[in-house]
Amino acid sequence: MLAAFEWHILWQRIFHPDHVFVLALWRTIYISVAAQVFGVLLGLIAALMRMSKIWPLRVLSGLYVLVFRGTPVIVQIFFVYFGANLLFGFNLIPRTANFGLFQLDGAAFAGIVALSINEGAYMREIIRAGIDAIDRGQMEAARSLGMHYRLAMRRIVLPQAARVIVPPLGNEFNNMLKTSSLIFFIGVTELFGDAEIRYSTTFKPVEYFTAVAFWYLVLTTIWSVIQAQIERKLSVSERGEEPSFRERVFQAWAPVAAWGRGAR
Amino acid sequence: MSSNGFVMSAHEVRKRFGRLEVLKGVSLEVKRGEVVCVIGPSGSGKTTFIRCIHHLEKIDGGRIEVNGHLIGYREQNGKLIEDSERSIARQRAEIGMVFQRFNLFPHKTALENVIEAPVQVRGVPKRQAIQQAEELLRRVGLADKRDVYPGKLSGGQQQRVAIARALAMRPALMLFDEPTSALDPEVIGEVLDVMKELALEGMTMIVVTHEMGFAREAADRVVMMDDGRIIEEGTPEHFFREPREERTKQFLSKILV
Ligand SMILES: Nc1ncnc2c1ncn2[C@@H]1O[C@H](COP(=O)(O)OP(=O)(O)OP(=O)(O)O)[C@@H](O)[C@H]1O
Ligand SMILES: [Mg+2]
Repeated sequence: MLAAFEWHILWQRIFHPDHVFVLALWRTIYISVAAQVFGVLLGLIAALMRMSKIWPLRVLSGLYVLVFRGTPVIVQIFFVYFGANLLFGFNLIPRTANFGLFQLDGAAFAGIVALSINEGAYMREIIRAGIDAIDRGQMEAARSLGMHYRLAMRRIVLPQAARVIVPPLGNEFNNMLKTSSLIFFIGVTELFGDAEIRYSTTFKPVEYFTAVAFWYLVLTTIWSVIQAQIERKLSVSERGEEPSFRERVFQAWAPVAAWGRGAR
Repeated sequence: MSSNGFVMSAHEVRKRFGRLEVLKGVSLEVKRGEVVCVIGPSGSGKTTFIRCIHHLEKIDGGRIEVNGHLIGYREQNGKLIEDSERSIARQRAEIGMVFQRFNLFPHKTALENVIEAPVQVRGVPKRQAIQQAEELLRRVGLADKRDVYPGKLSGGQQQRVAIARALAMRPALMLFDEPTSALDPEVIGEVLDVMKELALEGMTMIVVTHEMGFAREAADRVVMMDDGRIIEEGTPEHFFREPREERTKQFLSKILV
């Protein structure tokens, strides 16, 4: 059976990715990043709404989480895609909008919107937990110095909450890289979509899906290295030391150095 | 300066938490430059009273004025209506507060803690704020800790930074809520020294404390709170020599070992 596995396909997909493939990889990256960024923003807004004095805002925030955590992402993606189509036709969402490197067609746009909204619901919980983790005395101290609520939030509470939020946020992005594959089903050829198309024309599913798994692994690994870097840096300043430039360079190369040691 | 000549005047302040009435009509007037120590058993409402002066708690009755301005409320047709968030913030900027647990901002250095409010709230140019902050840190004896994060400071040092941070807003009144009770005995002195100096320089202060040594040296007046009321008031000497109320005697016998 294994003899039937065409290694050269895998080889070629890994070492000589063609232009179409690189474009698909790039789509996965920018769609994930965009959806994560907007997801964090939506989550932050929803988290602040939840703490609002105005009760309809609190209710709205609760409903948001209820609905978007309680239904499958794929349903939300289809809903946004076809829903927007039904409401506005595809004309409202530009069929292809050109932002230099980004060629955003309607489907990719709908995909980013759906993934962002879904992510926002999860981020709201993460951000809320981060804010709750900060001692109430911090807000009081800030207000006792004459800061109004928003200023105290922005300058004192949120920067501290950010340290609590970063580790789970990193995990969310790891998930996002993989979950973004679902938007293939509304016709966006990102990494998974590219593999799907190749396999359907060659009938070599195992080769192409092995290759695509490899590339997802590359993305998530790179991200986990970056994430570890950020977390280390945060934990250093948490301990009350400002890392020197030399230490920072050292930290940045620490995983590589560790691999080096492991290999020896 | 206020019209009635007091930096702080509280009149019949009432506060309840649900069913529990914590302040049952507290009146206190503090003149410019006066240092008033507040003593009293746990749960008597000392912290709550201090927090009401800063409007960190709403009050259910009475009124509090600082520099002649009603705190936290606006008068309309003889009724008190809570002020807007921003104007309360403006009032708080005139009143310094030092907490039992310091509450320094852990993500900022000592200097950054001190310049934060002048720069963000008052819009003082950063360079000028830094100069002023360095001077304040020198005054509390921490010039060399300028760039150190609170996590690396002892409790006594943190509390001194917290005092400098409050002073940076040039408050008309300083409130202290048991500023030394979370400290190790050996560093209590350094914080009290800073406070004594402040008192000598003429700062108006209300200090919740059980440090009777500090009261004797620095206070003009001591008030004794019990069960949500001020039950006795007098000079520190009065409290040492001839406290009138039975509750006061009992309380003092416990804290003056
Ligand atoms: N936020 C709150 N909610 C409900 N009850 C409260 C709250 N804050 C204080 N209390 C209650 O009010 C009473 C007075 O508390 P307060 O902290 O003012 O006392 P205190 O004189 O400062 O005591 P201590 O010497 O222990 O600090 C206590 O019975 C306390 O349990
Ligand atoms: Mg107290």
